[in-house]
Amino acid sequence: MRPALLLLIAAVAWGQEAEIRNPHTTPADVAAGAKIFRSHCAECHGAKGEGGRGPNLTTGVFFHGSSDADLFNNISNGIAGTAMPSLFFPPDGVWQVVAYVRSLAQGGGEQRPSGDAARGAALFREKGCLGCHLVRGEGGIKGPDLSVIGSQRNLEHLRRAIVDPNAEVPRQYWVAKITLESGSSYTGFVMNEDTHTVQILDFTQGLKSLSKQSFRKFDIDKSSLMPSYEEQLSDREINDLVAYLWSLKRESHAHEGRSE
Amino acid sequence: MKSSRLALSAVLAASSVYGQLTFERLLKADSEPQNWLTYSGSYRGWRYSKLDQINRQNVKNLKVAWVYQMPTTHRIEATPLVVDGVMYVSEPPSNVVALDPATGRQFWRYKRSLPSKVNVCCDQVNRGVAVLGDRVFVGTVDAHLVALNARTGAVLWDAEVADYRSGYSITVAPLVVKDMVITGIAGGEFGIRGFLDAYDARTGQRRWRFWTIPGPGEKGNETWSGDDWKHGGGPTWVTGAYDPAQNLIIWGTGNPSPDWNGDVRRGDNLFTDCAIAVDADTGVLKWYHQFVPHDVHDWDAVQVPVLVDSEWRGRQRKLVYWAHRSGLYEVLDRETGEFLFGKPFAKVTWMSGLDEKGRPIRNPGVDPSEEGVYVWPGVQGATNWYSPSYSPQTGLFYLTVWENKGFYQKGEADYKPGNLFIGSVPKIDVEEDPGYGAIRALNPKTGDKVWEYKVHTKPWSGVLSTAGKLVFGASGGWINRDEREESESSFYALDAESGKELWRINLGGNMSANPITYSVNGKQMVTMAAGSGIFTFALP
Repeated sequence: MRPALLLLIAAVAWGQEAEIRNPHTTPADVAAGAKIFRSHCAECHGAKGEGGRGPNLTTGVFFHGSSDADLFNNISNGIAGTAMPSLFFPPDGVWQVVAYVRSLAQGGGEQRPSGDAARGAALFREKGCLGCHLVRGEGGIKGPDLSVIGSQRNLEHLRRAIVDPNAEVPRQYWVAKITLESGSSYTGFVMNEDTHTVQILDFTQGLKSLSKQSFRKFDIDKSSLMPSYEEQLSDREINDLVAYLWSLKRESHAHEGRSE
Repeated sequence: MKSSRLALSAVLAASSVYGQLTFERLLKADSEPQNWLTYSGSYRGWRYSKLDQINRQNVKNLKVAWVYQMPTTHRIEATPLVVDGVMYVSEPPSNVVALDPATGRQFWRYKRSLPSKVNVCCDQVNRGVAVLGDRVFVGTVDAHLVALNARTGAVLWDAEVADYRSGYSITVAPLVVKDMVITGIAGGEFGIRGFLDAYDARTGQRRWRFWTIPGPGEKGNETWSGDDWKHGGGPTWVTGAYDPAQNLIIWGTGNPSPDWNGDVRRGDNLFTDCAIAVDADTGVLKWYHQFVPHDVHDWDAVQVPVLVDSEWRGRQRKLVYWAHRSGLYEVLDRETGEFLFGKPFAKVTWMSGLDEKGRPIRNPGVDPSEEGVYVWPGVQGATNWYSPSYSPQTGLFYLTVWENKGFYQKGEADYKPGNLFIGSVPKIDVEEDPGYGAIRALNPKTGDKVWEYKVHTKPWSGVLSTAGKLVFGASGGWINRDEREESESSFYALDAESGKELWRINLGGNMSANPITYSVNGKQMVTMAAGSGIFTFALP
């Protein structure tokens, strides 16, 4: 092992404040990192870092630390207690992967919204969005938690979710309708399911665990519970709403996830 | 009453540690069903027990007898061994514990010190140990084979099998044959050159090595292009079988490397995805049968070979039954390797039949492409490494099956020693159509399904059959659906003749291991790993 690497690892291990910066960040480094990524990382993280078995790497926030040193350490040594293996590469190659992973979060220069976030925030309350959506501790349970949605979705995606909610309905928001032999019925999200049972979040009765043996009917509605707002809102209002959602960013922590 | 019986059993267990497990006893392992002496219970690979105290009438009363919790975050894939009152089970990554099989109390633990960087494709796991005399043998994820004193866990020898820094690891349970320890190797996702090894059980010296990827001038090397054979894969990561009458070790080999990009390895890629039979004394190949020539889907044929002597189309023959990852059930003659019969046991779309030599007739358009292609079965196959079982009582072949498709994309494959060498971005679960799992019973003569026990998720566990006319199986699978996991963790007993569920318990946690049964103080026990625990069940 080269002395420079030893020093680096020592610095990472003891969490010294002196910030370690990636020494390999040229476009050529990013391209070289992309090549390594496609053959060694894409299996789990997806061809473009969009996630798969492993987490999405395009959000700019990493559960196990977001500093350059954290990324270098985690790529080089793997992450204990997870499926993340270590990479048997010399430090230069690891830094190139770090450069590529960083480039994913920048998305080629993110667009800024044209609407007014403050007006969007007011509209969000006025239109009753909180009835279903949670934003920073306040709101309902029927829709996705939007607390940091601005860090998770781009402008186009946010707009589409408002005007065409059915374009993409993640499975956890499909609505199960269950009728028992006894006649009682349940409507809600399927939280878990195995061969013999279903765990449901019923919209009025809360969490229920049901035996499939008692089922008369078990239907799944794959459409969104959310109506389209394309006709209900003006273009300006939609832009404002998008601006508000986009403003809901994750707070960044220098050493996020390094809890020891 | 109960506590004094437990105390007595502990004393008995401790005093019987001094028993010697000889090769002669291993040859007749199925005549001492109170023990579980090899990975599959016998050299024949049946995972069948003559114990019948737990049977179809009383299995509904089965209760947890004890639980041993392992301080590990890795998956437990181990099959425990039970030898004369001691249970030996590996604890992932590469540790071993000796337990009292009556109470689950620990006698000793061997803790393997590992390098900080170890590369294994699919978690740092271990499938179990082997025992001979007063020694316990374990392979390690840093590719060593270690002999331990069965009474203390002290290290007797430690042999480097291969260099872990170039992607080799050992996850397989070794198999003792005569005075040798046979071990396979893992690393099919790291461009290793696979092999099967034999070590002197006394000294740790290597006796022979059979390279599953032949070098220049060796038979089969012509099925590779250029130097591809050097990183050709062909790992041997599941314990094979032994045929004493012919002195043959029969073992399955895994995928060629890189897994999903075959462009850099034109040809059939022998001896990957093969049944191989090697002379136990010399390691010389006697016969082989390749199940999937030029595999580009990662369909290892490492499953446990099931050796049965039976009448076949009017003549008594020595057979091997083999259900492998690509979705085919096949029957071979184990004297010659001759292909006798083959048929899908699950939905397959990659082939439309087998020629008379057993070579699959591939369908067009099923190879991974840049855009991706849907093929049945999926990346994890229609079955996988978890054990099948054969019951001489019912004459049926039992196995865990996945009915599923996969999305296969071809990607870049760049060989760098010690790093993934796979050439793709495979998708294990197709979210909109994740498929399902089942325990199935096949008529081994026809490959026809006799019964099916269907489960919601796709199990990662093997099956055990017993003379109590039971089949034990587990659904410890999970389905990743978006950001939510749907999990299942059931261990159950089925009627071996009908597949009807007779008993079930939710153990929680992942299950990816094989059940065993044994008897201690006259009481039949059934053991299965779940989560980080070793669970043992008995009648009250």
